[in-house]
Amino acid sequence: MSVSNLLENWAQVRHEHPNNDKPHDPYKWAMAIDLDACTGCNACSIACYAENNIPVVGKERFQHGQQMHWMRVERYWDEDGREFPDQGFQFLPMMCQQCEAAPCETVCPVAATNHTADGLNSQIYNRCIGSRYCSANCPFKVRYFNWYDYPTDEMVWPAEMQQQMNPDVSVRSKGVMEKCTFCVQRLSAAKVKAKGEGRIVAEGEVQTACQQACPTSAISFGNLVNPDSRVHKQWAAQQVELDKDKQAKNEEEEASELRGYRILEELRAYPSVMYLERVRESAV
Amino acid sequence: MIDSGSVKQMAGHPFDRRDFLKVLGWSGAAVALSGCGNTSVEDGRETVVSYVEANDYMVPGVGVYFNSTCAQCDAGCSINGRVREGRVLKLEGNPDSAINKGRLCGLGQAGVQHHYNPDRVREPLLRNGNKGEAISWEKAYALIAEKLAGVSGEEIAFLSGGVSGHLKVLLGNYLDSLGTKNHFVYEAIAPSVVRAANLKAFGVEMPRYRFDKAQVVLSFGADFLGSWVSPVHFSQQYAQFRKGVNGQRGVLIQVESKMTLTGANADRWLAVKPGTEGVLALGIINALGMATGEVAELVKGYDKARVSRETGVSTGQIDKIAALLKLRSPSLVLAGNAAEGYAHGSQNAAAINLLNQVLGNVGKTIEAPVSVPFPQMVPSKGNTVALKNMNDGLAAGKYKVVFNFAANPVFTAPGAFKFKDNFAKAGFKVAFAHYLDETALQADLVLPLDSALEDWGTQVPEYMTEGAQINIQQPLMERLHANTRGMGDILLGLIKQKKADEYKGFEDYYAYLRGAVLQNKGALGGGGVEDDTFWNDTLTQGIVKLAGTTTSLAAHASAAGLVLPAAAEADEHFPLHLIPGVTASLRDGRHTNQPWLQESPDPLTTIVWDSWVEIHPKKAAELGIVEGDIVQVTSKTGSVKAQVYLFPGIHPEAISIPVGRGHDAMGRYAKGYGVNPFQIMDAVFEAATGELAMHETRVKISKTGQRVLVVKDEGSAGALQMGRKIAGRVSTDQVDLSKEV
Amino acid sequence: MKDIREDIAWAKINQDVMKSLENPRKLYWVILFLALAAFGFGVGCEIYQYRTGMGVENVNNPQVWGLYIATFIFWIGMSHSGTLLSAILHLMHADWRKPIYRFAEAMTTFSLMTAGLFVMVHIGRLWQFYYSLPYPNDRGIWPNFQSPLLWDAMAIFTYLSSSVLFLFVGMIPDLAIARDNMQPGWRQKLYTLLALGWEGTDRQWRNFRVTYLTIACFLIPLAVSVHSIVASDFAMSQQPGWHVTSFPPYFVAGALYSGCAAIITLFIILRYVFRFETYMTLPILKKIVRLTFAIAMVWTYLNAVEFAAVWYSHDEASKAVLIQKMTGTYAPFWWGMIFCGSVVPLVFAFKRFQTNIPVLFAVSLLLNLGMWLERWMIVAPTFSHGYYPWTWDHEQWPSLVAWGMVFASFGWFTLLFMIFCKVFPSVSMYEVKEMVYHRTLHLKKSENAEQGAH
Repeated sequence: MSVSNLLENWAQVRHEHPNNDKPHDPYKWAMAIDLDACTGCNACSIACYAENNIPVVGKERFQHGQQMHWMRVERYWDEDGREFPDQGFQFLPMMCQQCEAAPCETVCPVAATNHTADGLNSQIYNRCIGSRYCSANCPFKVRYFNWYDYPTDEMVWPAEMQQQMNPDVSVRSKGVMEKCTFCVQRLSAAKVKAKGEGRIVAEGEVQTACQQACPTSAISFGNLVNPDSRVHKQWAAQQVELDKDKQAKNEEEEASELRGYRILEELRAYPSVMYLERVRESAV
Repeated sequence: MIDSGSVKQMAGHPFDRRDFLKVLGWSGAAVALSGCGNTSVEDGRETVVSYVEANDYMVPGVGVYFNSTCAQCDAGCSINGRVREGRVLKLEGNPDSAINKGRLCGLGQAGVQHHYNPDRVREPLLRNGNKGEAISWEKAYALIAEKLAGVSGEEIAFLSGGVSGHLKVLLGNYLDSLGTKNHFVYEAIAPSVVRAANLKAFGVEMPRYRFDKAQVVLSFGADFLGSWVSPVHFSQQYAQFRKGVNGQRGVLIQVESKMTLTGANADRWLAVKPGTEGVLALGIINALGMATGEVAELVKGYDKARVSRETGVSTGQIDKIAALLKLRSPSLVLAGNAAEGYAHGSQNAAAINLLNQVLGNVGKTIEAPVSVPFPQMVPSKGNTVALKNMNDGLAAGKYKVVFNFAANPVFTAPGAFKFKDNFAKAGFKVAFAHYLDETALQADLVLPLDSALEDWGTQVPEYMTEGAQINIQQPLMERLHANTRGMGDILLGLIKQKKADEYKGFEDYYAYLRGAVLQNKGALGGGGVEDDTFWNDTLTQGIVKLAGTTTSLAAHASAAGLVLPAAAEADEHFPLHLIPGVTASLRDGRHTNQPWLQESPDPLTTIVWDSWVEIHPKKAAELGIVEGDIVQVTSKTGSVKAQVYLFPGIHPEAISIPVGRGHDAMGRYAKGYGVNPFQIMDAVFEAATGELAMHETRVKISKTGQRVLVVKDEGSAGALQMGRKIAGRVSTDQVDLSKEV
Repeated sequence: MKDIREDIAWAKINQDVMKSLENPRKLYWVILFLALAAFGFGVGCEIYQYRTGMGVENVNNPQVWGLYIATFIFWIGMSHSGTLLSAILHLMHADWRKPIYRFAEAMTTFSLMTAGLFVMVHIGRLWQFYYSLPYPNDRGIWPNFQSPLLWDAMAIFTYLSSSVLFLFVGMIPDLAIARDNMQPGWRQKLYTLLALGWEGTDRQWRNFRVTYLTIACFLIPLAVSVHSIVASDFAMSQQPGWHVTSFPPYFVAGALYSGCAAIITLFIILRYVFRFETYMTLPILKKIVRLTFAIAMVWTYLNAVEFAAVWYSHDEASKAVLIQKMTGTYAPFWWGMIFCGSVVPLVFAFKRFQTNIPVLFAVSLLLNLGMWLERWMIVAPTFSHGYYPWTWDHEQWPSLVAWGMVFASFGWFTLLFMIFCKVFPSVSMYEVKEMVYHRTLHLKKSENAEQGAH
């Protein structure tokens, strides 16, 4: 309660990220999404609804932009004004990028959103007072606010549907912010299990709901500090480094064959999600 | 948190599954209800079941996984349902299934919302004026017996969706006992014309396609990533196809008049004039210059200039495609919905198959299929001829008793059929239904079905990979509503009315199923294993894998009889083609009441909760239409009003309205959202097969003067990145995929 | 022309001001009633919003801040002129402030209280508001001291308490006058309490002067910092259109601007309602008008600076936001802001309008409308045109509830202000006496000098 206590606490809670003094050990959860494999089918998004008790807001609220899809699949086409999108679309699953230096974290007046030791950007629903500053400062706009009290809404969750809710995931009341958690409930369970057995979580032992559903395996997820993990290998092969805001791809001529990039990297939020560029066929 | 341990743990330990589920389900329900703010436990109306003496595998807070089969479509993906405290929470793909290998599409994920849907029918309902009156099952059975008494087999009709496995057997037996041959197997959206064309060209209806082996896939409107045949399986193969062999990434070319999800993923999407798919196929054969004999003779007339003129695809593009197909082999050419949906659909499909043969793909990327060695369990595939035949019978007033199961013809029959009016002419109409859908609402007796997650069954997929398999469907939890019944149980009950003696040994469908499986234990790979052990293993695995029988594949596609009609004359009254859009999540509309699917944005337009009219921006500008305008779309049969969405992925001579929405029944999540384009569909038939030609309806559109905000996920920037690097892309000549992890 | 007539007797000053506490024109009651009705409507809106959820504000997921935040800044800005100008002018010995500073300070206090309401109204879980306070607790859980929003809360609270103190201290001699002139009753008891035993002794006057001066000195940097910190809510974020270095001075200028405009409005109303024509004179009004004009030009300049800064920064996203403001969905509001904020004040450049009360009243209202639009244009366009194009321009327009709440805030402010003016002397009696006294001295001196010359 004293000021010294406060300062001490504070230094523990808030430190710079990415930070070499406090390396992510033994976990740093990260993702890689191959846009060349993503077909835009939305299976990930629906799996996320199923896993994370996300409310279906209905047509009218969707119209007001109050939808809650933690994972949204965006689709883009060329900007060159051709008659048909004859080179196809590009789909992009977008969810919380779990930034290392998350713009949302510093602005929350009550410290409801924090950086965890395993590199997640956590959201403490109980602490949130709903100032929505985090969302205002999020470059990706992947935070979703509970504009209404969905759990008590008969259209959103009638009694029968409530039985489907995942008991491992809190149901959010009105007035709090929420977002993709990298399925933290699955991560915690895996970590607890591994800890009980005196080891760390092995590659493939835990999957996020979106990764698990994806029919083309476009999403890989795992522990970035584990050299055996697919995510680690992918990041390494693409020469994408967590604590850099410019990667080899942008800087070195010979690295132009790399596909890995992070979205809006120049903002120095250091996202934990690497995307692999869509490949465009040059032969047709 | 796949706790596969729990499933394995139980394998090999005999236990009575039904009891287990009863125990688990019941206690779970108590926990569930108290957990959801229902205070009946506190009120003392329910007994709290102690966990102190629970079975070993019941750990509060730990999920147990059971294998079953997804029933959302008939691709036959195996699922792995997470059950906790007696409630099924989530469905995952079963990694042991060769079809979906642990993956599951959005439609499959939403299966839990079919189960927990608040608008399910809960009691047998008997029509009393305009209302349904709840009656007992005994009364319902007695009523059916009464209505069937003295009715000849000719006067009975049974309409169903595609069925397979033991349910098909039992249904067949029941129909036999009634002495009727009027089983109409109807699917509104099925590749029936393609099946027929395949049978002609390859000797099988549905060969195995090997996307993973193909270097080029040329698809004429086959939405294999979205809704065609077995999308989850194809998506997995597609991923391999994209990775390629030795870093040689597969190239996807999609030819269609309205972009599908697959088209959106193509490297080259070609907007052909509606109906000219076959012409393009022949044009490519011509450009390849590889054909000989009568094929060469046939395609001679299809020079680039003519083909380009008729299809709207540039000559340069035809050259490029031909060159690519020559350079990279093997390739795979597919005929899908768009190609088969015309009056000359068979001809289109035949031309496309011919292209496959010319390219030498048969045997390489088109392989012989396997089937299960039990012909009586092989799926009966639905088509629209069946609907037409039944509709004709109904119109003639032939039927005194009509059954309907797993189909919703009142919703999906084309408006020109006037199915609803004809259906009313039937004497006594029985609907086996999960929801009060449009057809059930017209019935005299509605029998409530168990959900797919409560019911027992076996399923044989039409499209199988790596050997044959029989899928097991088993309850993932106890019945949610006390008075629903499994379809198998009902059929058994009905069949006992006729052949009580033969079936008296089977107390319920579960017993029947168990008996049937154990009877063929040897053939199912369980020779020498204890009955109980084999049965429990089977349930644990959820799949019975079989060697299967392989049908040999022929390559006798020929030019004989292949005549493509001249491009259709422009109709000045109805200048536009209406293309019914088939989306991956809504299909023919039987799942529209699952809110996740309603709120999941359409991948191409990002529209939710509503229907739309897709129109090319150029055409829209011509007509003075902007996004959100409500337009009236009129065909010879009828008209609907819907909002406009400007979409460049459609041929300017066509418009598209997605099917699946526009219900006026089916509960709170379906009723009143969108419009139903089936209503304005003309009755035009495919010449060779008699199937309904879904793409042949011509329409005109007129503005109504109203305008709405289109409810969609994309913002005002639409599909543009505004110069920011959001979704990056790179050219194939820059990357080497073989170096990647 | 003199600021104030110099031949007013001290007793008449007392009498005139005390009269305002008892006998205003009928218009006063009309205003009071309207204000109460507006506020009541807002209370209804808030109850509805509290029960239903923030969705009724009609904001959405990319656009999480709406009317409430814009109006919050508006009220914070409004609070600036009163206390800040009063303190600055006090230090500069600008005598003309004396008849008007009291109501200006009251305006500060009440607009801060109104602004505070918007913080409450805005947050999603009002019932957990106290989480944002650094109250001692055993769990070692603190608010986030990195968050500009927290600085904001602290700055506003400090400013509010200092402003109340400044207002109160400045009022002590007048409270004593009121105490001495009042019939016995609750009012006299109140004044007795608040006058803190003021007797007008030399020692009291000396201490009073020092205290008042100290608070004034303290308040000036504080006031500047408050709006700078409000600006930090935006400038410290990473969003295009907000992340601008010129925001703090821009906010302060905007604040002074809207404050001055509001002073003109209230000046005109009070002058009429409480019959203060003798004290709130046209020459004083003219001075305020000229000051407002100067600030308007500073504000206009800072607007241009924002554009220049963004232009030279080559930040494409920020450029896009500015271009969007001028040409996109919000263009009518943005041009409305430019018209009201930069063009309308040109009226002040004409001498004949500088004392034309109907014109000034209309213009002052337009200026405040412009300033409100400025805040709306700070908040909204960045949300609808941020870094991520996919989320651009989801159709969004504030709901009736939101407008109701904005409307009600004017009612709440007016209510507080009008009650204050009826309960406390809104013209500083003792300081007006000083003015008259100074004048008289001055007059006598010059008369003497004249006589001497003869």
